[in-house]
Amino acid sequence: MLGVFRAIKTTVSAALRKPVTVQYPKVRKELPHRARGLPVLLWDFEVVEPFCTGCQVCARYCPVDCMTVAMKENPKAVEGKSKRKKTVDRFYIDYARCMRCGICVEVCNFDAIVMNNTWEGVELSRYDRHDLVMDLDNLLQQSHSGDLKDPFREPMGIAHSGWSPKRRTEEEKAEAGTKEEGGEG
Amino acid sequence: MIADNPWVDGLARMGIIAVAIPLAVIVLTYVERKVLGRLQMRLGPMRVGPYGTLQSVADTIKLLTKEDLRPQTADRWTFELAPFVVVMPVFLAFVTLPFTADLFVRNLELGLFFIVAVSGVSIVGFVMAGWGSDNKYALLGGARAAAQLISYEIPLVMAVLAVAMFGQSLNLVELVEGQGRVPFVVWQPLAFLIFLVAGLAELYRQPFDIPVAESEVVGGPLVEYSGIRWSMFQMAEVANMVLISVLASLLFLGGWNWPLGEEVGAGLQVVLIFVKTSMFILVFMWLRGTLPRLRIDQMMAFCWQVLLPFAFLQIIINGWVLVYGWPDWVLGVLSGMAALAAGYLTYRMAWRAAEPVLPRLHRVGSVP
Amino acid sequence: MATEYRVPHEKELETIDVNVNVGPQHPATHGVFRMILTVDGEQVVDLYPVIGYMHRGAEKLSENCDYRQAIGYQDRTEYLGQFNAEFCYVQAVEKLAGIQPPERAEYIRVILTELNRIASHQMFVGAFGTDIGLFGTSFMYSFRDREVIQDLFEAVTGERMMYAYFRPGGVAWDVPEDFRERCREVVAVVRRGIDDIDGLMTENDVIIARCRGLSPVTPEDAINWGLTGPMLRATGLKHDLRRAEPYSIYDRFEFDIPTGTQGDVYDRYLVRVGEMRQSLRIAEQALEQMPEGPIMAEGLKRTLRVPEGEVYVRNETPRGEYGIYLVSKGGDKPYRLKIRSPAFCSLSALKAMSVGTYVADTIINLGSFDIVLGEVDR
Repeated sequence: MLGVFRAIKTTVSAALRKPVTVQYPKVRKELPHRARGLPVLLWDFEVVEPFCTGCQVCARYCPVDCMTVAMKENPKAVEGKSKRKKTVDRFYIDYARCMRCGICVEVCNFDAIVMNNTWEGVELSRYDRHDLVMDLDNLLQQSHSGDLKDPFREPMGIAHSGWSPKRRTEEEKAEAGTKEEGGEG
Repeated sequence: MIADNPWVDGLARMGIIAVAIPLAVIVLTYVERKVLGRLQMRLGPMRVGPYGTLQSVADTIKLLTKEDLRPQTADRWTFELAPFVVVMPVFLAFVTLPFTADLFVRNLELGLFFIVAVSGVSIVGFVMAGWGSDNKYALLGGARAAAQLISYEIPLVMAVLAVAMFGQSLNLVELVEGQGRVPFVVWQPLAFLIFLVAGLAELYRQPFDIPVAESEVVGGPLVEYSGIRWSMFQMAEVANMVLISVLASLLFLGGWNWPLGEEVGAGLQVVLIFVKTSMFILVFMWLRGTLPRLRIDQMMAFCWQVLLPFAFLQIIINGWVLVYGWPDWVLGVLSGMAALAAGYLTYRMAWRAAEPVLPRLHRVGSVP
Repeated sequence: MATEYRVPHEKELETIDVNVNVGPQHPATHGVFRMILTVDGEQVVDLYPVIGYMHRGAEKLSENCDYRQAIGYQDRTEYLGQFNAEFCYVQAVEKLAGIQPPERAEYIRVILTELNRIASHQMFVGAFGTDIGLFGTSFMYSFRDREVIQDLFEAVTGERMMYAYFRPGGVAWDVPEDFRERCREVVAVVRRGIDDIDGLMTENDVIIARCRGLSPVTPEDAINWGLTGPMLRATGLKHDLRRAEPYSIYDRFEFDIPTGTQGDVYDRYLVRVGEMRQSLRIAEQALEQMPEGPIMAEGLKRTLRVPEGEVYVRNETPRGEYGIYLVSKGGDKPYRLKIRSPAFCSLSALKAMSVGTYVADTIINLGSFDIVLGEVDR
């Protein structure tokens, strides 16, 4: 019978502690800096355009093939306001497919995409699954409006191993041109 | 007295009971969820109403408006009448339960006997539910329920019998008034423990909740019920819990009489009964959150090998004390020693380094 | 699967065995697993397990992904001990490619893996209590500890469950600056939490009455049936891959290997609780010894190309021996990635261990296997 008394003692001592649950929609815990929400694109406030140039590296490295990217000539480069020769024309991410692995962030040449570490990047309820396909405006909206206060942009993965986008961009593009295989690269 | 005409008076009192019990059930389901939440270090219902107080009301509305499903192959009348067979005995038992010396519907001379007899009818309801659902889980649950409830009736009745022997009456009001200065729990701790344990088993709560084991037979005999019928079962369970708690506080703790006696006003007496009943209900809810469930054969072994012999022992001790006219403290001492022996025996039964239940391979129809 | 109709003896009551389907949707089967039990009253006479409800083609999909993309699939296969699965996979790739991860990365990996083992065992304890009948109390206690560990993981990797943090060659990011203090706090909280669970369940007479002596397994049977991990150690064999074939840096830590005596359900529970405590020891020692330095091997390209070859690497995950058999034909995608799943091999022994027990015991028995359906079905 003593074991039963010990169990009762444990529950009594547990009952006297503060509850560990919080009332979620009213009280939200603070997300850590590295919280990995769904990916969003960053807005370059100096040049007033997205960082993304539409090079499709993230779409190629995505394991679940959830991104569609198209690029176009950058009108601002023609005018001389921006160094980016191309800019992104269309960018779709299917949030229903994204598995938040962060590989797109790791391989981006321009640090243009980042995981959304706010609550908007994590709370996603829609009535229709098709509303989860985000287009360019939706993706830029978080950063453009200033809600994305402190995105987590530390170097990741291969960047610690000595890989850096600046040196490699032209090589990678040449590689990408030659090895255009069907699956995700 | 509410009215002079005894018929109107009786009907009015029954009406009060018919309203008060569902209200009590509603309040108690909320309290149970809060208490369980507290012991599990969480908050319990908080959103519906301030601090979740309207949660039970919301649940009741939901249950009342749910579609009343009936499986097509279910045995129609058995299936549909089963919840009512389970609920009616509880209400009937409340009819004879006195809350103070004046607050009852009808105080029968055979009150205790009536309560015990009528509580046995709900077992039939469970078997009806189990059979009528045409579902193997329900059948398993119904068979287990029948076994458990019938077995634990016996020690329960014997514990109650021991009290009746000592109090020399079956009338509940007289039993309470006979407790005077000293409640019966002091003289018969063994009967008290047996009553509590058997009562827990009659309520099919942890650790005896095999008939409605949630993780095995998902709900047991209740698995095919929905809406009002399911809420009838729940109401029966909670109302039964109140019944056992009130009985325990009347029979063993002196009801409204102890410790303040008869002179105090009716209001304070009701409060006293309320406090004692709540104590028992709290203990039942606590045990629900703390103890896992026993297996059916262990539970039967516990009943027939521990509770029943000790219940007999209590009756025998009572008999000796009454026949030979020994003073009351002898009864208390003997009963206490027997209670300790029962506890030790339970401990031994749980901890014996079991002769291992070796799996035996039957080669009947196995996949080669 | 047809039951033979036994001709009853003349004095025996004529009975028919009933087929009970403990279906894919059931509160007690820890996932979508189906058992068809043939019961004679309450005793189980035959058991026919049906798996495959959670087959998502992880192995085949990995053939289309390069080595970094496939890490996400490892998480989702073994979804309770994610770091353990990632660890095994990353070791396999590193072995084939000849990459040696730096020291700090190794230590980070070990700390996170051991904490993940604790989280997985806590989940087992919670579910085990619920199977036995504790109405949610064990679940809340164990999830409180899991929550603390998951918050730490969120601070380090960003995710609460599917981390994708290990990379071939190291880890994705360095740990944050306050990692050491935070980790020590987590260890302290979890230690108290394990004591809580201990107090609630280990000496509870009802649990002992239910689990002691239920379905004992001898060591020979365990080896014949292919059981590994806590189920094997519960039978009395002191076999832990972290000691027997030390991989990574496990030979630098001092820890005991808890074993049982009879191999019954209670011993399996005790072994897992003991393992939680040992994991805390390992995590503390690793925290002490963790050096500064790089967290990723040098000179890796964005797309990892692995030379031809094949390798089989096995790790001690919370369920047992998790193995990755990797075949590469050069190039950046694996040619064949085969996962040796410990839960699958344990499940194949379910019938032998359950026949003859009661229905209620079968549920507890299944719970004590601690299966993860993602791993069983891949």
